[in-house]
Amino acid sequence: MHEFAIATSLVEALHELVKEQSASKVLEVHLRVGKLRVLSIDQLKFSYEILSKGTALEGSVLDVEETPGYARCTNCHYAEKLETDDLSFHFILPQMTCPKCGTKLVLEGGDECLITRVRIIAPSASPTAPTNGLV
Amino acid sequence: MAKPVDVVTSAEGEVFDVELEVNILRENERLAEENKRRLESKGVHAVDVMGSVGSGKTSLIKSMISQLKKDLRIAVIEGDVTTTIDSDIISSEGVPTVQVNTGKECHLDANLIRKALDRIPLDRLDLIFIENVGNLICPAEFPLGSDRRLVVISVTEGPYMVVKHPMMFLDANVVAINKIDVAAAMGIDPNKLSADVARLNPRAASVHTSCRNGIGVNEVIEKLGLKNR
Repeated sequence: MHEFAIATSLVEALHELVKEQSASKVLEVHLRVGKLRVLSIDQLKFSYEILSKGTALEGSVLDVEETPGYARCTNCHYAEKLETDDLSFHFILPQMTCPKCGTKLVLEGGDECLITRVRIIAPSASPTAPTNGLV
Repeated sequence: MAKPVDVVTSAEGEVFDVELEVNILRENERLAEENKRRLESKGVHAVDVMGSVGSGKTSLIKSMISQLKKDLRIAVIEGDVTTTIDSDIISSEGVPTVQVNTGKECHLDANLIRKALDRIPLDRLDLIFIENVGNLICPAEFPLGSDRRLVVISVTEGPYMVVKHPMMFLDANVVAINKIDVAAAMGIDPNKLSADVARLNPRAASVHTSCRNGIGVNEVIEKLGLKNR
């Protein structure tokens, strides 16, 4: 159910952007979501579809790039990508130790939840049109 | 306000990409930080009490209040989908209580807590218990601004509550394993649940409790650092 809450925040942020850019329509939305967030992407897309109905977001494509976390050793700088879809691995995270020197590993990344790029249709009168002199 | 666009033409506007890095969870995190600063500035501590439906969160809060209320000025924020049953139970301890009904949401969020804090006399308080909606999944994702976290589970929920919901336990300061008076009848070994907690989060203290006969309530208070303050 937190997918719905996150989709709500996403839609709010996008409406803000639409207003800011005076966009008439949003075509694509790209997200970067860490795997350690354990979000169900299908549920997120489903919620987004419902929430975007009847707005400038309706019909836009929601694309989600999932990124892994890294386990890093604070002692010998050993680092490993956590490439797994097995959720039970959360269970061992707090006790993971470095295979090289035995120091406890710390986690880096994998918990982000970002909007990275949005494709919009904006009015053709661009406010940033080149001018012929210095302002 | 948004006008319906069927066909995209150049006259209508140009298509372009906006590159950005907006953190979708940022708003909740920002509000949680704000709540935390607000509580700190008033010298008020807050305990986020999370746990499954029917694990005994309200009973444990009530038991702790009856032990603490002679020394500390306490208030409670009660989160539920609907009804004021829990705040009615807590009110019988004579402490100010705010009921937050989330309607359809499965967790409290920092914005709801911000609004609840407006209705509590922070200047005249030492401690706030925030009882989250009964749920072992979603509340883990939404910090509220509390300075300590208590997770309550009970032996009636079976032997796998901890291993099946690891996220909830990673940031807990104290885990109460409740209803141990019926552990034998349920065929559950509470020590096994404690061992699961210890493996997942070695920093968390796990305490066996029974609110019905007061077992472990003092120890939860101690481990939360709420004694002698």
